[in-house]
Amino acid sequence: MNRLDYFVLIATILAIPLYGLWRTRGSASLRQYLKGDASIGWATIGLSVLATQAGPITFLSMPGQAYESGIGFIQNYFGQPLALIVVCVVFVPIYQRLKVYTAYQYLGERFDRKTRLLGAFLFLVQRGIAAGITIYAPAIVLSALLGWRLNLTIWLAGGLVIIYTVVGGTKIVSITQRYQMIVILVGMAIAFAVAIYKLSPDLSFQNTLSVAGKMGKLEAVTFSVDPHKRYTFWSGLIGGFFLALSYFGADQSQVQRYLAGGSLRESRLGLLFNAVVKVPMQFCILLLGAIVFMFYQFEKPPVYFNQPAYERALQNGYASQLTELQKEFDEVFTQKRAAIRVLSTASSNERDAAMNQLRTLEAQASDLRDRTKAVLAQAGVDPKSKESDYVFITFILQQMPHGIVGLLIAVILCATMSATAATLNALGSTTAIDFYRPLIRPNASDHHYVVAAQALTAAWGLIAIGVASFASLVENLIEAGNILGSVFYGSILGLFLAAFFIRRVTGSSAFFAALVAQTLVLVLFATTNIGYLWYNFIGCAAVLIVAPILQQTIFRSAETPAGA
Amino acid sequence: MNARDSNPDARSWRKAYSLALSLFAVEVVLLYLFTIRFS
Repeated sequence: MNRLDYFVLIATILAIPLYGLWRTRGSASLRQYLKGDASIGWATIGLSVLATQAGPITFLSMPGQAYESGIGFIQNYFGQPLALIVVCVVFVPIYQRLKVYTAYQYLGERFDRKTRLLGAFLFLVQRGIAAGITIYAPAIVLSALLGWRLNLTIWLAGGLVIIYTVVGGTKIVSITQRYQMIVILVGMAIAFAVAIYKLSPDLSFQNTLSVAGKMGKLEAVTFSVDPHKRYTFWSGLIGGFFLALSYFGADQSQVQRYLAGGSLRESRLGLLFNAVVKVPMQFCILLLGAIVFMFYQFEKPPVYFNQPAYERALQNGYASQLTELQKEFDEVFTQKRAAIRVLSTASSNERDAAMNQLRTLEAQASDLRDRTKAVLAQAGVDPKSKESDYVFITFILQQMPHGIVGLLIAVILCATMSATAATLNALGSTTAIDFYRPLIRPNASDHHYVVAAQALTAAWGLIAIGVASFASLVENLIEAGNILGSVFYGSILGLFLAAFFIRRVTGSSAFFAALVAQTLVLVLFATTNIGYLWYNFIGCAAVLIVAPILQQTIFRSAETPAGA
Repeated sequence: MNARDSNPDARSWRKAYSLALSLFAVEVVLLYLFTIRFS
């Protein structure tokens, strides 16, 4: 990175919060602080919801994921449009009618205080840790490649977010997310265009896609029912539906985004915007990864993309083994490049033989990368982030023109800031509204609660930075974040679905059913090897099955069902 | 025609949901065609 890159980076990440602070200057009522105001339209809500979900991992990891395993991950988003429509039809009208600040207030109105506190507590635990991971994940990659100090990177991303989120509340989060998302979309579009421009002139774009497809990178949709296949249309539609329903319906960091609008109409349109644009957006990001893969079929890639870790292994006495592997990798690369040229001009008779040769060489290259990883593990420099997370950022740093490099680093930091701001805003609001107001100071002034929400948002920001600072102690960090969400979401969604659809269930039945469901999920998590997406479904189903049973047995005459 | 159907607001929202679902279906079909073309 040169001075131009640093100028673009600093100007981009500072200008948006400063504009947000100017737009939200002056004191706000509790309603304005927690829900924004009526001037927030559907476009801002839509971009804000998009930015909250995307996060830095989307822009760092997704292209690397496609580089490694192809674009089939797109199917994980197939349940989302359906879930968003259910949220529009069922969840949003109820939240808007009751004028709640947090989703968990609804649980209090429908059931009782303890169920509300349980829902809020599960959210706080899960999101509090996830906020730290959101800051840590890009910081570890950026600090490794740019030579920045890890703690400085964490504070750069986290500190700025804390300041503007505490000062401006929900409105500033929505406004900054709108412009951060615009920067992200423009930056990714430029990256896409440059990546295509950088492709080898030996092949047309269509031939490039054909070869990528033949190398297994472009299987976007498969209707396979093979349970061993990781991403299929069916798992994406069903598993993805429950995950998205939990996330958009019962996670305050999203609920607060779409309740920021002045009306039901704006909230619904913002969500429908996401239902339509999410799949194409993710497709473009994954396709970018496949294009980067094709770029590195003609331009020699590093055998291991996390170069700082590789360099450390070289210095730790593993130079001879690594140099030998590098030499073999270089030879395979040269043969592979020749094989792709043969394949692109092969007649239909010759194509199968050329394809088989290419597959063999690709398997050899993959084997050499695995052996390199094993050497790095032996050398004690096995990094805690996935190697594929370094693919796209390496491409940016080595291939993009100056200025664009700064913009794309800003994209990653904007994504970090927008996702973290939404999370801190939701954590502060939930703690203030669901815990502080009812349990500690029930009858204070509006201004008192605004100050309390600000203090609690700042406290959660510091906790998130603390989690990020100690996150290196946890192995497999990014995966841990996904697992964490799935472990808690199911029970929370179950509580909401029981509240909406099972009229006869009362507070105690729902509360204990959620405890049973959460215990069941934790036991399964500790003792079995079930794919973590299933925990969403299991937790939710357990609440919906156990709550009516408890209602018909233990709590039969204890309470009068709501609405009875 | 019941009361729900006669509500013009509800009708227009049903149209909006149908449009969003149709667009999603088109997206999936295009992705499938993309898969067939390039795999």
